[in-house]
Amino acid sequence: MFLSAVVRSAVSQTARQVRGLHRSAARAGAGGIFVHRDTPDNNADTPFDFTEENKKRIEAIISMYPLGHKQAATIPVLDVAQRQHGWLPIAAMNKVAEVLEVAPMRVYEVATFYTMFLRQPVGKYFIQICTTTPCMLCNSDSILEAIQTKLGIKVGETTPDKMFTLLEVECLGACVNAPMVQINDNYYEDLTPKDIDDIIDELKAGRVPPPGPRNGRLSCEPAGGLTSLTEPPTGPGFGVRADL
Amino acid sequence: MAEYANVVRRALGQLGGHGGVRGFFVQLFRVNDIKTGALVGVDKYGNKYFEDSKYFFGRHRWVIYTTEMNGKNTMWEVDGSMVPAEWHRWLHCMGDEPPTTHPPEPKKFLAEVHQFNVSGSSQQYVPFSTTSKKIHEWVPPRAQ
Amino acid sequence: MLRLPVVSRSLFPATLIKGGAAATNNARTAATATAAASNLLEVFVDGNPIMVEPGTTVLQACEKVGMQIPRFCYHERLSVAGNCRMCLVEIEKVPKPVAACAMPVMKGWNILTNSDKTRRAREGVMEFLLANHPLDCPICDQGGECDLQDQSMQFGSDRSRFTEGKRAVEDKNIGPLIKTIMTRCIQCTRCVRFASEIAGVEDLGTTGRGNDLQIGTYVEKMFMSELSGNVIDICPVGALTSKPYAFTARPWETRKTESIDVLDAVGSNIVVTTRGGEVMRILPRLNEDVNEEWISDKTRFAYDGLKRQRLTQPMVKDESGQLVPTTWEDVLTRAAGALQGVEGNDVAAIVGGLVDAEALISLKDLLNHLNSENLCTEEVFPMAGAGSDLRSNYLLNTGIAGIEEADLLLLVGTNPRYEAPLFNARIRKGWLHNELQVALLGKEVDLSYTYDHLGESAKVLQEIASGTHPFSKVLAEAKHPVVVVGSSCLQKEDGAAIMAAVSTIAQNARVSSGAEETWKVLNVLHRVASQVAALDLGYKPGVETIRNNPPKVLFLLGADAGCITRQDLPKDSFIIYQGHHGDVGAPMADILLPGAAYTEKCSTYVNTEGRAQQTKVAVTAPGMAREDWKIIRAISELVGVTLPYDTLDEVRERLAEVSPNLVRYDDVEEANYFKQAHELSKAVDQAVLTGPLAPPQLTVKDFYMTDPISRASQTMAKCVKAVTEGAQAVEEPLIC
Repeated sequence: MFLSAVVRSAVSQTARQVRGLHRSAARAGAGGIFVHRDTPDNNADTPFDFTEENKKRIEAIISMYPLGHKQAATIPVLDVAQRQHGWLPIAAMNKVAEVLEVAPMRVYEVATFYTMFLRQPVGKYFIQICTTTPCMLCNSDSILEAIQTKLGIKVGETTPDKMFTLLEVECLGACVNAPMVQINDNYYEDLTPKDIDDIIDELKAGRVPPPGPRNGRLSCEPAGGLTSLTEPPTGPGFGVRADL
Repeated sequence: MAEYANVVRRALGQLGGHGGVRGFFVQLFRVNDIKTGALVGVDKYGNKYFEDSKYFFGRHRWVIYTTEMNGKNTMWEVDGSMVPAEWHRWLHCMGDEPPTTHPPEPKKFLAEVHQFNVSGSSQQYVPFSTTSKKIHEWVPPRAQ
Repeated sequence: MLRLPVVSRSLFPATLIKGGAAATNNARTAATATAAASNLLEVFVDGNPIMVEPGTTVLQACEKVGMQIPRFCYHERLSVAGNCRMCLVEIEKVPKPVAACAMPVMKGWNILTNSDKTRRAREGVMEFLLANHPLDCPICDQGGECDLQDQSMQFGSDRSRFTEGKRAVEDKNIGPLIKTIMTRCIQCTRCVRFASEIAGVEDLGTTGRGNDLQIGTYVEKMFMSELSGNVIDICPVGALTSKPYAFTARPWETRKTESIDVLDAVGSNIVVTTRGGEVMRILPRLNEDVNEEWISDKTRFAYDGLKRQRLTQPMVKDESGQLVPTTWEDVLTRAAGALQGVEGNDVAAIVGGLVDAEALISLKDLLNHLNSENLCTEEVFPMAGAGSDLRSNYLLNTGIAGIEEADLLLLVGTNPRYEAPLFNARIRKGWLHNELQVALLGKEVDLSYTYDHLGESAKVLQEIASGTHPFSKVLAEAKHPVVVVGSSCLQKEDGAAIMAAVSTIAQNARVSSGAEETWKVLNVLHRVASQVAALDLGYKPGVETIRNNPPKVLFLLGADAGCITRQDLPKDSFIIYQGHHGDVGAPMADILLPGAAYTEKCSTYVNTEGRAQQTKVAVTAPGMAREDWKIIRAISELVGVTLPYDTLDEVRERLAEVSPNLVRYDDVEEANYFKQAHELSKAVDQAVLTGPLAPPQLTVKDFYMTDPISRASQTMAKCVKAVTEGAQAVEEPLIC
């Protein structure tokens, strides 16, 4: 009885530590805590306004929703704000609330819910590396290692020149092309440590390398060539009785 | 026989030892007793201390209070706390040496002027309450 | 989080909006009631058949047969959230348990409220809820009245399988009234829904997701609402508790007295919780016609003002002009001596805003015996025209609940949000659920709902009355129009003209609306609890007569608004002050008679709609203070004009003689004669002042301290400080 209790508590202790090893993106990356703390570059008094171009965009977005349902445009308008500023300071969220004529709290709720809304400053290039099981099996750890040594930052950190931010995330849905990273909106797939080095060099040089697989694949077709449907498709009337 | 004569002598001494009829009645009403004894001493406030060892122990030393002490009329309002500290010792038989023959050692904590007990007066000590008041009453502003 | 108020309202309108639009629609179409009856569905609760309307939820159907379903997030006055899952019940032939609060019933369903599956589901949900809930019941203020505690005793498992660490959430500072211990929160979102739906202050919300979801304001911010205290009541756990009440009492050691609030003219129903002769807290009491189940922050938190600045001893002024405590015999003889020599205009009385009807009638009888009719209230009401002769002229005739049926509301020179927070909550309810259109004439203020601002000047009012203003057209088209004039804008000289204009507008709207006979348009929103009773009893509103005609003896009964000062009176005049707080009136008195506050006496108050209600004795009056009518009765005996009543019942008999509605408790005596009042109002001088109609309570900081009790309250002082300087200014070190 006593022994079993000891074993049980030991097991649960280990279990806890295992859990502790892995933190979700929500925790580590997209803003960490779910309350706002004023900082010099993130407070309600910092000016934020949409550019003329974005104002037109927002108008177009809002016009897609029925009258009186401006609130429905919260996510796309927040996205516009984030694309304009790089991340979402509190001033931007307040501006979005003002544009959509809702209480600021309703915007905060949305912005804190989605991990793709970044409520903390990130570098110009936001690198999200997938280390979930399929990528891990395809040696995503070596990619992570390569990025870390190349940029000299650890997971969750930003380079001093504010160019790169590295974040470890869960599955991004490109398991066929594992291992992969997402840099801003682009997926770079089928990576080797050399590939990622090249990509970062390109980015540092100010060019955006073309997204997609790096091992010569066009998309997510089988890497070793087709194993089925290899012959050309048969024409009409295939397998139909001759007398018909 | 001499015993009886002594009793009569003491009785007559008590009747006449307070300064005539008026003194007798003043003594009777102030002290409720008319006993006389040897005057041991008078303190600086005017309290007179007597002793008569013929009385039973405990009744053999007494004080006749002064009529005015510390500015207060003590003709009829007498109080045990009028006895200063140096006489208290002798009066309560803690020792047999009156301060007239054995003056007390001067101590810095001994009061220069003896103070009455202020219990029951407006200056009495009230201990600090540890519970907060349930009702805080309004204090009227001071009139100009 | 599933939170779709609009969808849920359209799904089950009849059941959700109780007493609101749907219910009255049903009442109005009584002819079709029989047709509706055939629409009823038959469902079974544990095999018992019951007929319900379509759209009824499973939970409401169960409630109808008296079966309580456990719940945390569901609240009948808030939208359905369906996120706590505690109300899971099994339904026969339905594969999975359903959330009773959000599921409309279907024909023939058999709801099993106590089946094995239901009980297992509840136990499972309870286990999840408790997984992150701290086990700090012994130091939690909600202990003893906690839904989670009760329901885990009733439906939870008797042991825990949880061995991991618990989640902890940072506490928020949302002001000096509400203490937050956010780790205890079970994310029912009742407070969020209350803030956005009832209070109209969208400051609270949920941030984050999943295990990290938390309730808060995201930014450092106070929950600035005049109804904020109600989230303490609706919070099913101890996450939101009362800061002033923290660690002072347990619910099972307190005595509860059902009473009435007098700090505004709404007359909210309250429960005064006391322990050891001390008011510990004030909670709301359900009254659908007045306050539903909410109370304002002033009502809830000003109770510490009842313990400060109290008059506990009779006092008289000595030769040096200093008030010194004395005995009742002394003051009563002195007061009687002063009153004995005077007659007629030499004696006058002013009554304040917190005086009960019993004291009002005693004082009036006493002065009438001395041949004086100089009995005034501090609050002005124009006496030109109908004045207080016709009762309809000074009441909130539509009633507080009646506003829900209105479709157009014109507010004149009032800020109901701070003058009568619960009336404002009703307006917001109508605005939200019944398409109520609101227009405001007066200073532009935040009313927690949108309105058309018609202007600030009373000139606009006359334009509307004459029909030249565009709003007159809107008013003419309304089916159920309501006009509410605030008592504050009637305080100036042009009050009678404003009242006349409002009366014209109301009368015109009444005619053009074609509403049923019982529909009333003209309303006056009072600000103090005693005003309606005083006018009912024949007091003269306003102290103008006294200022013009200074008396030798002035009797102040709780008069603390400072309408009359020493400078207004001759030097040798004699002032008797009777009241419960040393505020404005007490320092200028020659004689102080300590009276009882509203928690200390059984007394009658009439709210702004004319509803007589009574307070009950929760605690005894402090020190030598006595009930007000008894003091006046004692003086009358010494003066030699003994008032003919010795008991409370006899006083109330006398009240009934003068105005029978004052003792018909909890009833509203309907007032009519609007037409006649309107005719009378035509005779008055129609000139209005050009200044803006600005009620004195414009922002939330004007709300907290308006009367002697709330002015004495430290909690209210803290609120004002927090509003002006930020919540950090009044932050106290945390005990826990």
